[in-house]
Amino acid sequence: MTDGKHADPALVLRIEECLREPVYFRDILDATRDQKYRAILLAWSDIRSRHVLERDEYGRYWRAEP
Amino acid sequence: MRDRAEIRTSERSEDFRGMLARMEREGHLRRVTKRISPRHITALCAQAPAAVLCQAVEDYDIPVVGGLYWTRARLASALGWPESELGSRFARAAARPHAPVIVAEAPCQEVVLTGNDVDLTALPIPFMHEKDGGPYISAGVAFANDSELGPNAGCYRLMFRTRREMAIDLFTASDLRRYYTKTYERNQSLPVTIAVGVHAFEHMAAAYKAPAGVDEMEIAGGLRGGPTRLVRAKTADIMVPADAEIVLEGELLPNGWTADEGPFGEFAGMQGDLKRNPLFRVSAITHRRDPIFYALQMPWENDWLNGPATEAACSRVLGLAGIQVAAVRATEGGCCGWSVVASIKKRAGEGRNALAALLSLPVVKQAIVTDDDIDIHNPNEIEWAITFRCQADKDIIILSGMKGKHVDPSVRPWDLKPGELPTTSKFGIDATIPEGIPSFRYERIVPAFRDEVRVEDYL
Repeated sequence: MTDGKHADPALVLRIEECLREPVYFRDILDATRDQKYRAILLAWSDIRSRHVLERDEYGRYWRAEP
Repeated sequence: MRDRAEIRTSERSEDFRGMLARMEREGHLRRVTKRISPRHITALCAQAPAAVLCQAVEDYDIPVVGGLYWTRARLASALGWPESELGSRFARAAARPHAPVIVAEAPCQEVVLTGNDVDLTALPIPFMHEKDGGPYISAGVAFANDSELGPNAGCYRLMFRTRREMAIDLFTASDLRRYYTKTYERNQSLPVTIAVGVHAFEHMAAAYKAPAGVDEMEIAGGLRGGPTRLVRAKTADIMVPADAEIVLEGELLPNGWTADEGPFGEFAGMQGDLKRNPLFRVSAITHRRDPIFYALQMPWENDWLNGPATEAACSRVLGLAGIQVAAVRATEGGCCGWSVVASIKKRAGEGRNALAALLSLPVVKQAIVTDDDIDIHNPNEIEWAITFRCQADKDIIILSGMKGKHVDPSVRPWDLKPGELPTTSKFGIDATIPEGIPSFRYERIVPAFRDEVRVEDYL
């Protein structure tokens, strides 16, 4: 759960899992429909703060393996 | 019914929510009380018969409004101007700028958030189009200062990235890009503020490509017929609209064109490309006690904001060519700028002269000129004029090698070398009565005894 200020670690992990392959941002919203919109943005903020995300020519995101 | 003087007085001081109230009274804005997700707001706006004010946005206590300028009629309602006079009123107002007034206290600063309280996720920034790179602030009006060039306001999109950072689109040439380039070359940040939820007068003035050295908020004052109220930002030496709903204060970082931004559904109605752009770091968020978040809907809201300025420019070049203009219309299908129609009081040869003048404008790619008996606000009338007053082998002109725009896929911008500018062909249709054909050949049929029959007496 998010407290409204910090990302939910479990949700962060779920989104990171999505980013194993190229996905549109819409795909991330689709994969997390059970979550509140703001919680998704907080998790996204956490991910973008900690990782450099790759983008392909279509604008899809993915996370290069560390 | 209020008299004209009263209307003019209220226009001068009307703020964003005053504009919304008037649009609602005129049937151009509907309230939605059912709960809605920020991911569904654009889909609703695209289908709604009026602008919508979503009062119950899931996870947020901030309402979201969208679709305000989706049609010419809605823009006219927002401005309080007659639909047929958008261009002429814009031209008159832009010629009479009015200096803003600085106030000490402002509604946009009723709540001030700084430090750890700054959190962009607290705003209902919607996810708008299928292939967008993230949620977007689409209605941001950016304000910046330059010691030599003065204050500037312009419209820029911002993509959500983190709680305090957004990527801002400074890809194409603009005043803000010019300001930013100067600080970037010194490896310094550029203080910038972003206002969300300003009146159509201020928004349209910011969208207008004012001549260098002209303060867009003075143009806004001209449109308003009185001064725009500005207040000094809390953390930067920048003036912002005092009556804005929300203001983000911060700086453009000197990272240059390196941060991924986009794709975003762009003004030409197509999904744009992924770009590399600067980052905007937010240091303060100020807002009204009960702010309304404005989500400008692409492409038509963005396009209509530029429509009156395009019509004004068309009238100006036609006037310079000595042509008597009856009416000008920037059409929606041409994104309110690329395609225009003008009706004129023609003298011999002026159909083509008018086309040459209109096609000289950088943005105009296709133009139609009719006589002044044609109602150019009626597409059927325009088609009728083209059908019966035009011979394709004589009355259509094509110009090649004109300045084009990257956003137009038909110029194949991907084939250009870096820094190379695209060229385009343009065409114009002279749908005026050809020289040598007497006007009685075009006498229109008129229902007999038309003046004696009133529909309401029978239906």
